[in-house]
Amino acid sequence: MITQMQVKGLMFDPYNNAYIIILRDDDQVEMLPIWVGKAEASSISLALEKVAPPRPMTHDFMKSYLDAFDAKVISVVITDLNENTYFAKIHLMYGDSEYAVDSRPSDAIALALRTEAPIFASESVIRKQSSDELGQWLENLKPEDFGKLDS
Amino acid sequence: MDGGSPQGSGPLIQLLVDRVVEDPATDTRIVVLARKDGDLEHFMVWVGASEGEAIKRALDTSVTTRPMSHDLIKSCGEHLGITTARVVLTDVKSSTYYATVFLENKGVTRTLDARPSDAIALALRCQAPIYVTPDVWQRRSGQQLDAWLSKLETKNIGA
Repeated sequence: MITQMQVKGLMFDPYNNAYIIILRDDDQVEMLPIWVGKAEASSISLALEKVAPPRPMTHDFMKSYLDAFDAKVISVVITDLNENTYFAKIHLMYGDSEYAVDSRPSDAIALALRTEAPIFASESVIRKQSSDELGQWLENLKPEDFGKLDS
Repeated sequence: MDGGSPQGSGPLIQLLVDRVVEDPATDTRIVVLARKDGDLEHFMVWVGASEGEAIKRALDTSVTTRPMSHDLIKSCGEHLGITTARVVLTDVKSSTYYATVFLENKGVTRTLDARPSDAIALALRCQAPIYVTPDVWQRRSGQQLDAWLSKLETKNIGA
């Protein structure tokens, strides 16, 4: 079972000096936070805000690489969570064949947002991520932590 | 050699990535490229910190637990049968360099506009040659930078 997720936001985690992508399912029941680095967060932020940078950023380049040969991103799936590392698969359609490429979730999400491909999370990943823990963590955040991402 | 030499201004010059240097004054990296023909002059491109690290990782052939962005592009290419034939630094406008990546698949060639940092990071991972047009080579940034760079590196050693 996989659940479709939407990127709900991006915020700064001052404790880990990292960024968090918040994924939620369409029913707003499940929440999946994914910790990413600054460059990855910046790339996702550009896609979320639909900002076209003057020069192609890495994921824009990745998209045009696939576009050049008419390879399509069908979907991306966050497949596993192991010792705080998330795993993802990018599903590509090329000719008549489908390919699943191993990826970090940050790259998968940055690419999905640019290609308008749906983002899914496997049930096991959602189950492993305890929302209680996240709720507690969110409560401890101060309002100023929710600043706009500077990229 | 064919392609990428826009005004027929002579053959392309092949470059090898020599090293990636940290610019301590700013949060940037300097990618230092050397000519393959042994000419001692260098070509330098300023890139962001994460772009510089992506090039450095390829240069050091260091392996990360998870595929980084350019590893992912390479891996997509391997799945789909796309090869990176070469990359060419084709233009420079207001100190911004432009690169073209030449891709091949089943005899079909496609060219992509790219930032030099992405082009170089991919080329190193795919063992694709890196070229610069004679025009861009002539217009490269500050040729006295070699001296500045060696000073910078000496200073870093002491730090």
